[in-house]
Parts: sequence; C-alpha cells; structure tokens
Amino acid sequence: MDEAAVARLVPGLGLALPRVPHRGRVGEVRATSAGSSLELHDFRVYQPGDDLRQVDWNAVARTGELILRIRQDEVSPRVEVVLDGSRSMALSPRKAACARELALLTAEVASRQGLSPTLLVAGARPERAQGAACRAALQATAFDARDDLSASLARLPPPRPCGLRVVVSDFLFEADLPALCSRLSRGAAGLFLVQVLDAEDLDPSGGEGARLVDAESGAALEELLTEDVLAAYSRRFEEHQRALRAAAVRARGALLTAPAYEALAGLVAGPLRPLFVAGGGA
Amino acid sequence: MSFGFPWGLLALGALAPLVAAYFLRRRQKPVVVSALFLWRTPRPRAEAGPRWERFTREASLLLEALAVIAAALFLADARLGEAARTRHLVLVVDGSLSMSARGPDGVTVLEKVRQEAAKRVEEAEATQVTVLASGIAPRVLAGPEAEPSRALAALESFQALGADHDVMPTLIWAQELAGSGRRVVFLTDAPPEIAALVPASVRWMAFGTGRDNVALVSAQRRDEGATATVTLRVARFGAGPQEVEARVRAQPGPGAKEGTERVERVRLPDEGTATVRLTFQGAGTVEVSLPEDALPEDGRVRLPPSPVRPVAVGLAEGLAPPERQSLERFLAVAPEVARDGAKEGTAPAEVLLVGPRGTDARVTVGAPGTLRTFVGPFFSEKGHPLLDDVQFAGVRWTAGDNPPGRPLVTAGEAVLVSEEEGGRVHLNVDLTRSNVQRVAAWPVLLGNVVREARRTREGFPRRQLTLGEPLPVVTVSGARYTLVGPGGSRPVFGAGAVDLPPPAGPGRYVLERDGDEVDAAEVLALDARESDLRGRGAADVPARESSEDDERGTAPSRARWPLVLLLVALVADFYVTRRA
Repeated sequence: MDEAAVARLVPGLGLALPRVPHRGRVGEVRATSAGSSLELHDFRVYQPGDDLRQVDWNAVARTGELILRIRQDEVSPRVEVVLDGSRSMALSPRKAACARELALLTAEVASRQGLSPTLLVAGARPERAQGAACRAALQATAFDARDDLSASLARLPPPRPCGLRVVVSDFLFEADLPALCSRLSRGAAGLFLVQVLDAEDLDPSGGEGARLVDAESGAALEELLTEDVLAAYSRRFEEHQRALRAAAVRARGALLTAPAYEALAGLVAGPLRPLFVAGGGA
Repeated sequence: MSFGFPWGLLALGALAPLVAAYFLRRRQKPVVVSALFLWRTPRPRAEAGPRWERFTREASLLLEALAVIAAALFLADARLGEAARTRHLVLVVDGSLSMSARGPDGVTVLEKVRQEAAKRVEEAEATQVTVLASGIAPRVLAGPEAEPSRALAALESFQALGADHDVMPTLIWAQELAGSGRRVVFLTDAPPEIAALVPASVRWMAFGTGRDNVALVSAQRRDEGATATVTLRVARFGAGPQEVEARVRAQPGPGAKEGTERVERVRLPDEGTATVRLTFQGAGTVEVSLPEDALPEDGRVRLPPSPVRPVAVGLAEGLAPPERQSLERFLAVAPEVARDGAKEGTAPAEVLLVGPRGTDARVTVGAPGTLRTFVGPFFSEKGHPLLDDVQFAGVRWTAGDNPPGRPLVTAGEAVLVSEEEGGRVHLNVDLTRSNVQRVAAWPVLLGNVVREARRTREGFPRRQLTLGEPLPVVTVSGARYTLVGPGGSRPVFGAGAVDLPPPAGPGRYVLERDGDEVDAAEVLALDARESDLRGRGAADVPARESSEDDERGTAPSRARWPLVLLLVALVADFYVTRRA
C-alpha cells in the first residue's frame, strides 16, 4: 500500500456527499433535524414548550400571531468504507494494494472533510475501525475470506445510517446483485461501489491450457484458453458489469471501476472522479 | 467370486490409460482467477464447499476407475456368493434289471455306468450333480444339486433291479430339474429305439452288450398242508443251451428234520417257456437257481412258505335240508375252504356265512313266495366274476319272489341271482324243485362265490409277484395299514381291494395293520423283458440341443449388478465432472 501517494492526494480532495440533509454528530453539514444553525428551514405557529428565543418577532408584528422560526441543525455525517476481504481481492499484490489505498484515501479524505469515517472489513474475521484507526486496520487486512462479499456481509454488524457508504470490492461473484446493492444502500444517503479489478480480471491472458482455480472456493476448471474461450469470458464479464451497474443505479448508487494497474492519482482523476471532488466540500 | 468368462478381465487394462490421462492432466498450470463462474455457463446457484471441489478430480478418477472395473466384471461374467458360477449336471441311470447283466468281460453294465458317470462329472467340471434312477416310479438317488462326491457315492450303492419301464417320464423330469437347455446324461444299456423321441437336451449313452440268457420268467409256490408245490417257468433268450439244470433247494420246514435238494434238468424250447412243477413235503424256504449266465439275478428266486389261508364258511340255522345238503356236498370237496371256521373263533368279517333268505348272511339261498320254474332262456351279467364259467344249459330253475340288489341272472321277470351293494349275494332258488344242484353250474357258481370271498379277504391276494406288477392288497376299513418293503415303509390308504403301484424292487413286502403283520408277499426279480438281453448294445447319442450356454457350462444368465454399478459410476462421474 503506497501510503505516501495517499497522503499526497488527500489535501486536495473532498468526498462528493449527496446534496440531501444528513444526520450525525454536530458538525458542518446540514442535518435533517431542526437545530440552532443560521440556516432557515421553515416557519410554524408557536406551540407551548417551544423555545421563545426562536420566535420571529417581525412576523408576530405583521400577523399578530406567535410565529416560530425553524432552523436546521448542522451535523458531521458518518462515512462508511466497506472493504471486501475475500481472497479474490488479493489476486495480485497490486490489486490488494489498490483496494487498501482506495479505502484509506476515502477514510483520510473524510476525516479531513470533518466527517466521521468508519472502516468495515468484510473478511473471514470482520473488522471495524473508526477515525485514525482505519489506517492500522487496513494495514492488517489479510484478504482471507473464502466466500464472497454477499456472504461475508452477514458477518458484519447491521448497517447504520450514514451519509455516504463506499464499498471497495471486485464484485466478481455470483449473487443476486439487485438485492446486494439494495442491502448496501440501506441507511446510506449516498452509495459508491468502487470496483477494483486486476489486469487479469479485465483482460485475461490465454494461449495455453490451464487449470483455472477459483480464488475463493478453490473450485477448478480445466480449459484451453483459446480465443473463443477468452471471447466468451469477455462477453460474460460485460454482461456481469451491466447487471452490476444497473443494480447500483436502481439502489441510487454509482459503480466506479478502478483498474488496479493504474496509479492512484490517475484513478482519482479518472474513473473515481464522481467520488472524489477536487478541493473538498460537501 | 467366480468368473464365467475370465477373458473379460482384460478390460481392466483400460485402467492404465485412464490413470495416465489423469496424471497428464494434473500437470496443467494452475491459474487462480477471481471469478470462475465467468469461465463457464452461469449456474443458478453457487458452488458447493471448497472441500468437495478440491477432491473433484480424484473423485472423478475413482469413479471412472470403478466404471472400468464394473465393465470388466460384467464382461467377465462375475458372480458372487450363491450366484457364483455353478455347473449342474443331471445323471439319469437306468434302474432296470438288465443293467445288472454282465458283459463278456464279466463287468456289469451298472459298473461301467458308474465309471462313465464319474468321467462325465469330471469332464463337465460339475459343481452340482443330481442323480436320478429311472423306473416305473422315478426316484432321486442324490440331490437335487448334490455335491459330486456325494452323488457318486449314492450311485456306488445303487442296485438296478427294477422292472422294464418307459424312461421318457424320467428324462423329462431330469430335463426340468436341470433347466431348459441344460445338460442331462442318460446312462443305460440299450440304444434308443427312436432317437428323435429322446428329449433334445439329453445325451443318451448305452453300455450294454447283446447276450444270450436263460431266465426264470415266473415262480409260484403253493402250500397245502405240509405239501409245497413250486411251479417254475424257464425261458431261453437267444441261442443258449438246449437244456439247463435247475437247482432247487428246500430248507427244512418247522416239522422237518432236514431239507431237500434237487437238480432238475429242464429242456428249453426254441420259442416259449418250459414249465417245471415240483412238490416238497415239510419244506421251508425253497431256493431255485439256474446256472450262472449273463444275468444271474433272473435265475435265482427264493420262495418262502406261502400257506393257503382257507376261507371259513359257515351255514346259518334255518336253511332247508335240501339247501344245506347241497351246500355241504360242495364244501366237502371245495379246496381251501374251512367248513368249521366259524366255530374256531374266526373273525366274523372273514367268515362266509350262508343262510336262508331274510337273514343277514352274506350269501342267502332260498325262494320264498310264489314259485316259478324256468328252463330258459337265462340272461346273465356278462363278465361278472361270480358268473365265470357258469353254464345254464339243461338247468331247471325254480325261483320265488325277486331278491333285493342288482340282478345278475334273470329269467323272464324273475331275478335268479342278485348282488347287493355291500357284496351280499342272493340265490333265488328252491332246490327241491330245481336241478341246479345236480349240474355243473352249481359247484362253479359256489366256487366263484368262495373265490370272491377269498379276494376280499384282508392281505395279499397273490403271494408271489414278478417285477413291474401292481401289488394288489385288500384292507379293512377303520384300520391303519403300512406296507413295509426293502425300500422302507409307506402307508396304505383306502379300504377294500387296493392296487398299489408296482414295487420299486424285488424283495419281501409285509402288510402291517396297526403295527401287526397281516400278510406278506414276495416280489421276485423276474421280468421276461429284462431277461431278454439280445437287443442291448452300446451307443452314444449326443444331445440335439447344445446351446452356447451349454458349452460354457450351466451358469444362469449373466449377473446384472456389475452393469448397475457401471451405470451408477458413470452417472456419478458425469455429475462430479459437471460440477468441476
């Protein structure tokens, strides 16, 4: 994991939070609840027990009724980074490093933005870290789960409401993708599916016979990697990607595919641009 | 486990390329991929556990090897346990007397048959042998499906002393025991008369030799008082001697001090038989023997005393003097009749009681009622034993009212003689006005009555029988009878005159009632058709049906379980490889 590259990118980036009211601890982002910020949210008639300090006396003078000024609260929303801990994420060292770097970058940018980052690692042994502990947790992540993300999510604590949920995985498994995306978006105002793919995932090399072994299940398949076989793989891969993207959109999320062989800066400036905005801001 | 076709095991050679292909494929480069499902047709459900998948190829190899082994076992016709390969051989030995005939070398046909049977068992590699003896009543000597050694041992102790008979029922039975298209060997002493009539799966082997023979064809002994009369009939078959010496030896009887031995020279005609009648006084068992020839068994008989059992006749009170006088006159000269039997305490059932009409006597004589005299014509029941040789010519018969029962003799509307269902006979005659008692019809008629009474007497009506003759016996209802013979004992069912099947062999047969001996009869080893050895000979007529199965043995159809195992292995392999 190139932590230096992450550190270089963090200062100039911000997470693209969805433009909706959020919930969370006191902070800088408008909340869904009424509070004491300067942002005017609404007016309503005074009811016994309301804070008299919020009475809009100008309106009282105009109308003769006690009108209350409703202001919105300002909160610091949670950002959840879910990292797939399955073995396929470590298909190559670069793929594993890229997944860690993207998770770390998201957490670091969120911290710098005043948000509360939480890292959830869906591995063989589920991990949960917050704030500065995210870095150490990422360094210790082993990518050792023998099942895919849809199965390992069951081992994580129930999803909590959050402002933004970023899921880092390769999403290369057979599952009910709409149901998975719906589950991932539950309680989140915004959802980004960051798909980290190795070069072999995107464009497998062929030319000879091979015993293909599934990284997670260990199942084997013997194939002569001919052009036809590779073309069939590409066709099925595209179908899978289309299905995944459609499922993400239906869950009001976005699928961002990050080739692991690209540099982190290039990914931020390229495929991951919807997630990371230059200069920060909510 | 045994194999019907061991060459089928060569199919196990297919294991070598199978294992080689397995290891060759194992050398392919393993490539770890993120998503194996993208490399094959998507399936609706996820993979099974990794443990199962990891051993998929080994399981496939094992299943394919199992399929090869199963195929080899099927081709090799493998059999297990009870279904293991068996070779069943059915031997049928002719049980007739002529099998005891000696050949020119002095060896009996039966001995040759024993040797051939052992040879057949060895050549056929039979694991199970059934030995049948043909006869009027076929019987099992060994088996069914006995061990070869036991079967041959049973054949070793077998003696062929049966009567002439038809062997076809035995051969058909043997064929059924062996199963369709299986191996049956018939061992006899004569070639088949018509080979086409021999059952198709039977191999007919004959070891006889055409020989001349002199034999006793019948022997009878009759004991009246201390006098024993022995009647012999001697026959010559073939170009034998013109004269033979019959040695007759009478052992001393109960009252005699010493026995008698005679040598009778019997002149044998070219055709027919010579009859010899000898009498002995106070003789016990009489043994007759002819000179040794090809078949000594038919030249020897043993005749134990056969005392005449007279019929006890009683005359009831109430008989008119003319009837009584005529009856007594007959009884005085009638043979084998005891006039005073009733007085000696003879059982009532054995007494022939003669009385007047209206009594319960077995025979009634008298003509009550209106008398009518007839001089003819007389109509008699043809063939009735009571009327054998009864001639009514010159008879003047005066009858009264018609007696009950079935009419046997009638004249006009008058019933002269009738018989009731229980055997009672009524003679509707008035002897004061008739002349029946003065003509020959009278003693003949009464003689027939006594003969019928003798026939219905408990025991054997005949004391000496030859082979193949049915064994007549008379029993009384209400008692339990057993026939004890050389072959064991058997119960006798039925009451009255019963014809038992011909005994299986010669010897003394005793009729027992509730464990007590009632009577005895001697079955003599005499059968003219068996003594005629001229038509005997050697032959080997192979079975007309010699199927492939017969060539390979008598194994039942090929076992199916290897085929089932093969199919299960292939289906399982398909399932496993489809998962991989």
